[in-house]
Amino acid sequence: MSETGPPPRAIPRESLASRLIQAVAGLLDRPMAWIQRAVGGRGMAYVFLAPNILFFGLFVFLPIGINMAMSLTGGTNLFLSERPFVGTDHYRSLMQCGSYLDPASCREDHFWKGVSNTLKFTLFQMVAMVGTALVTALVLNRKIRGRGFFRAVYFFPVLLSPVVVALIWKWILQRDGLLNGAITLVGGEKILFFVEPGWAMFWAVFVSVWAHMGFYTLILLAGLQAIPADLYEAAEMDGTKPMRVLTRITLPLLWPNLVVVLVLVLIKAVQTFDEVFVLTGGGPGTATLMVVQYIYETAFANQVQNFGLAAAASMLLGAVLFALTMLQLWIARRKAA
Amino acid sequence: MAGLVLKGIAKSFGPVEVLRGIDLEVANGEFVVFVGPSGCGKSTLLRVIAGLEEVTSGTILIDGQDVTAERAAERGLAMVFQSYALYPHMSVYRNIAFALENMRLPREEIEARVRRAATMLRLTDYLDRKPGALSGGQRQRVAIGRAVVRDPKIFLFDEPLSNLDAELRVATRKELAGLHAEIGGTMIYVTHDQVEAMTLANRIVVLNKGRIEQVGTPLELYNRPANLFVAGFIGSPRMNLISGRVGPDGHFEMPGGALAQSGPFLPAGLAPGAEITLGIRPEHVLPAGGEAPDAILTVDLVEQLGSESYLYGTLPGGAALTLRSPLEDPARRGESLPVRFERHRLHVFDAAGLALRP
Ligand SMILES: Nc1ncnc2c1ncn2[C@@H]1O[C@H](COP(=O)(O)OP(=O)(O)OP(=O)(O)O)[C@@H](O)[C@H]1O
Ligand SMILES: [Mg+2]
Repeated sequence: MSETGPPPRAIPRESLASRLIQAVAGLLDRPMAWIQRAVGGRGMAYVFLAPNILFFGLFVFLPIGINMAMSLTGGTNLFLSERPFVGTDHYRSLMQCGSYLDPASCREDHFWKGVSNTLKFTLFQMVAMVGTALVTALVLNRKIRGRGFFRAVYFFPVLLSPVVVALIWKWILQRDGLLNGAITLVGGEKILFFVEPGWAMFWAVFVSVWAHMGFYTLILLAGLQAIPADLYEAAEMDGTKPMRVLTRITLPLLWPNLVVVLVLVLIKAVQTFDEVFVLTGGGPGTATLMVVQYIYETAFANQVQNFGLAAAASMLLGAVLFALTMLQLWIARRKAA
Repeated sequence: MAGLVLKGIAKSFGPVEVLRGIDLEVANGEFVVFVGPSGCGKSTLLRVIAGLEEVTSGTILIDGQDVTAERAAERGLAMVFQSYALYPHMSVYRNIAFALENMRLPREEIEARVRRAATMLRLTDYLDRKPGALSGGQRQRVAIGRAVVRDPKIFLFDEPLSNLDAELRVATRKELAGLHAEIGGTMIYVTHDQVEAMTLANRIVVLNKGRIEQVGTPLELYNRPANLFVAGFIGSPRMNLISGRVGPDGHFEMPGGALAQSGPFLPAGLAPGAEITLGIRPEHVLPAGGEAPDAILTVDLVEQLGSESYLYGTLPGGAALTLRSPLEDPARRGESLPVRFERHRLHVFDAAGLALRP
């Protein structure tokens, strides 16, 4: 240490703003000191965390707890104190099936129809979503004209509310909608998209891909841009055909991002509700009824509001989501390592 | 292995002219080094040869065939990148084998070629590792191995040693020289390290602002630089350059007076009064000892390297002069040192910077 440092500089006159801030912050000094004396230095960490813990507790953990209690009680009353304890009755009736492969043989046939539809939807949607997002990202990663414009265009639907997206597409696809208008214009016959179960499922998948693809495209695009350009030049010097560049260099190096996208798509697809509900209402019949819609209808939309059964179904769905989230975290952590 | 001919190569990126008419012939089996200051277009020229960059105008012939319109993959050249550009997800073996797999060679042949290259480059113990688990020097050897297995027409190197530390650089330099002696391929090598250029090259190409300043063997460039740029660029510490004019009786006149009072100083045949620049390398300026001095140097700085020392000083007119002395302690700072110039080592450049060879 040098003994003769520069002389202490004159402290500049404080500005009004900084003095004001100090005055306000100063108001907190006393209570803070008092709290710290009460809880100790380590305890202060929890004091600062308290607002968040409170928020999460109130709006996340408490509802989960109430839901759990709901699933174990019966009746149509909303207040827990007025609901009789029924144990695992709801779970048992949900699981009561002649054959799990045939929803019609189940006591809660709509629940199992929902499970089966959700599985189908998830499978189709994952393939379609990841496929289109990958192709779009690969195209947008090339030096094409208007690249910035297209990147924005593909991302815009993500910013729209799912309900708005579904309403727009409903308007296009309904009996006298835009698409049927176009079909009749070229001399074709109207197709009743929401009356044919196959078409309804197709459009449910299509619309959700249309609405969310931009987000996943963006993740994949970021992954593609992280691949160093000189690897492609080295591949070019090595005389690699374009298809081989894709399969041997681009895809292996993009793989970590692809896995992340796959899992995210999976987690979202399992929870699908709003778009499909607004678009098809779960129909025709129960052809596009998803698990979440079943929960919603059982609890709120049916004549008899069976909160207990709905709560039990959502506990089961929650368990699946928990497992998927663990998978996602495990993958993310393995990627970081 | 093949020869290369460049005819009038020009390359612009938009309005920026990077290469401005490069003509060059490289013979089969030759080791040619491109040197030049940063941004002079060395890498661009190499990439143009490789086919990674299209020419704006000009023609490229490999083995007499016009390849200007061909893509990099079709030209059959191999390039070692400054960043190595190894495929991070492939083992060393796969990295080296990748190009051969692209050629659809039989498995046994690929295996044999990879093993041969790995042995030559001392990589046999690392074949199963990923590049991320290798040292810089090992990665570098993998990059070279990837080029060698293909038995390319021409090897292209873009500053392959610049990411290595000083010691490894010297070692790898020797290995590269050995590699060239062993496999004898045509090699084109970009560097801005002139020691690399001097030691590796059969011929050096000095580039400046997208033009070739001079092409020649290392000694030709060292002994007979064609112009001021090459004179200043080749050699370290750089050549002393003093501007002045030709005086009567062959003396050299500079602002502080004339150099050498006794006898004619400059080579004969220079027009008296002409503006010239005199060049002399530090190793060709000697302490005068007992002989008549050409000038008195005021020593500003002494650098001792152990085996020799460099003196940095000023001549009476203010011109800076560096000299190399084999003595450990030839002079002190502030001393006046009588110096003598080796007459047959003088370089003279005209006002346009071109070497005058009377
Ligand atoms: N893709 C590009 N677009 C625009 N300008 C470029 C491009 N590539 C190179 N240049 C310009 O061309 C000039 C020469 O670049 P180049 O990389 O060939 O230099 P270099 O001699 O290899 O330099 P260094 O020794 O620093 O590697 C530079 O001024 C650079 O800015
Ligand atoms: Mg370069």
